[in-house]
Amino acid sequence: MDDEYLSYEEEEENEEVDYDYDDHYSEDVGQVITKEEAPTSQVITKEALVAAQKQVLVRVMELLSVKENQARTLLIYYQWDVDKLFCLFADQGKDRLFSCAGLTAFDPCLVSSTRMMVMNCCDICMEDDLPSDVMTRMECGHSFCNGCWKEHFIVRINEGESKRIKCMAHKCNAICDEDVVRRLVSPELAKKFERFLIESYVEDNRMVKWCPSTPHCGNAIRKIKDDDGEVECLCGLQFCFSCLSESHSPCSCLMWKLWTKKCADESETVNWITVNTKLCPKCTKPISKSEGCNLMTCKCGQHFCWLCGEATGVSHTWTTIDGHSCGRYKDDKVRQMERAKRDLDRYTHYHYRYKAHTDSLKLEDKLRKNVLEKAVLNSERKSEEVFTNYIWVTDGVNRLFRSRRILSYSYVFAYYMFGEELFKDEMSDKEREIKKNLFEDQQQQLECNVERLSKVLEEPFDEYEFMKAVDMRRQLNNLSALVDNICKQMYECIENELLGPIQFGNHNIAPYRSKGIEQATEFCADICKSSS
Amino acid sequence: MQASSRARLFKEYKEVQREKVADPDIQLVCDDTNIFKWTALIKGPSETPYEGGVFQLAFAVPEHYPLQPPQVRFLTKIFHPNVHFKTGEICLDILKNAWSPAWTLQSVCRAIIALMAHPEADSPLNCDSGNLLRSGDVRGFNSMARMYTRLAAMPKKG
Ligand SMILES: [Zn+2]
Ligand SMILES: [Zn+2]
Ligand SMILES: [Zn+2]
Ligand SMILES: [Zn+2]
Repeated sequence: MDDEYLSYEEEEENEEVDYDYDDHYSEDVGQVITKEEAPTSQVITKEALVAAQKQVLVRVMELLSVKENQARTLLIYYQWDVDKLFCLFADQGKDRLFSCAGLTAFDPCLVSSTRMMVMNCCDICMEDDLPSDVMTRMECGHSFCNGCWKEHFIVRINEGESKRIKCMAHKCNAICDEDVVRRLVSPELAKKFERFLIESYVEDNRMVKWCPSTPHCGNAIRKIKDDDGEVECLCGLQFCFSCLSESHSPCSCLMWKLWTKKCADESETVNWITVNTKLCPKCTKPISKSEGCNLMTCKCGQHFCWLCGEATGVSHTWTTIDGHSCGRYKDDKVRQMERAKRDLDRYTHYHYRYKAHTDSLKLEDKLRKNVLEKAVLNSERKSEEVFTNYIWVTDGVNRLFRSRRILSYSYVFAYYMFGEELFKDEMSDKEREIKKNLFEDQQQQLECNVERLSKVLEEPFDEYEFMKAVDMRRQLNNLSALVDNICKQMYECIENELLGPIQFGNHNIAPYRSKGIEQATEFCADICKSSS
Repeated sequence: MQASSRARLFKEYKEVQREKVADPDIQLVCDDTNIFKWTALIKGPSETPYEGGVFQLAFAVPEHYPLQPPQVRFLTKIFHPNVHFKTGEICLDILKNAWSPAWTLQSVCRAIIALMAHPEADSPLNCDSGNLLRSGDVRGFNSMARMYTRLAAMPKKG
């Protein structure tokens, strides 16, 4: 079956069980399973990193007929973008390509012929008459003694500059030959140097990123297709490849960033205090207003005016309002307060729903485990196909999970899509209202069917007799297909109706995948030859 | 590590003794007790407002010298776009990212003299003087620089 269920494979003891049924049922309910979908990402484990890098190096070495160290210097400079490298090579030629990256396309014969003529003195340590075997000449033609080269390498590697150690000569931009570096420094430092070189493949490469898990699982993910996709690492972490935070579609990265910040900082609480409380002008404790009257009395005995916050007293009572300024400011203040209150209400509305679904997700994680356990045990006790092949249960649980997530994030999306923070001038109020209604309809549909799905999954199917279980399977499959369809439509609506017309800002949304976030396949050196 | 920087500084020291006569504009002196501390006296280049002045520089040599550049600053007050008026800090590429271990303290002095003759008004540490030059007020700049040279860098007569 699909790789999506790999993790349950070991639980499926009777592997010979009719596969026809899965396919039959999958098609029956019209699930969008596009089998030809090629993987768009790979996991590169710590152990495979060298091989992954080598694969690219070999390509460049073969096509440009250069040595490995030259290929690496080129690739580091051009950020491991092989296509760009080849384009530049075709457009500008080898010499230009080389000199930009700090490589000399010198003919080695020329170098050795000039060698005879130079005296063996090192400009760095200022020693003269050095024996020629302690001198090393880089490809740029500059020659210094091994002792000085070595110290230069040590300082640069310890400074973390391994990837591009320049020649010591003034104004020479040549990059030192990595073989010379390896030869001259201590084995431990050579190891460190090596590690920096290898890590460059991840750190300087737009298409490869470290998995953001903490503690770090050691893996890197390579994207084969340049989309704004979300991906699942071997360690199980699902994340957004663009911003490296938890997967957040259908929110854009910016929306998600703003949202997490908003939820984290206290600004909204502070806002609430300013809207709902005033500081007593005498003891400065915050007081909240619980009645309609604007004449407030603090615990300390001080009376003051709610509207302007100023003390009322002998000459400033609520009835004799001598010198009281609140009348003048009232309109402004009230408007300001109303606005702040409206913003807060809006945020609370969306946050409440977002939070509710995130919480459900956590609860359903338990449900998922229970249901699967139940299904496994049940399949061992009974012989009917509907019990032994319980893929319909796992299907349903996974669908619930995925769509619940989408539902939860859709509230964050809506908060920004129809708020003023990002798209104030992108649409008229009327337009906004229409679009908001359209989206909320979809959201409601999704919400109601997700709840139905959740409810069906709670049924004690292990206690059911055959016909009842078959009925539940039918129900579940239908619901699942329905929810899948609603999600798909929601994404289409976001892409075409909502974000499509937006002029400013980059709001790419990770595409909807019916089968859930893609699990990156593990990179193996030989498999990859064919895919690249 | 320190041993090699020490050896190299010692070489430079010997070189300086020999070259003293060769370059009358630069007088490099090593601290008696610390080979990592040097001072230099340089003559203001001719046909500049610094002409006739003698400027003192202080060198602090790092432990990884010459793989890392020395820290140099003016001890004598100088009105120059690339020298911080208060601290004497110098903005010069070879003392930062364009440093190469092939440079010596002596050649750094030469580079500083060259900088005095050719200020870089676009990366000023002294904004007043940078602004004067950039606005094209060369006369204003020259007279200020000249005044400070007379005040700070010329031996008092009598
Ligand atoms: Zn040397
Ligand atoms: Zn060189
Ligand atoms: Zn991971
Ligand atoms: Zn993102």
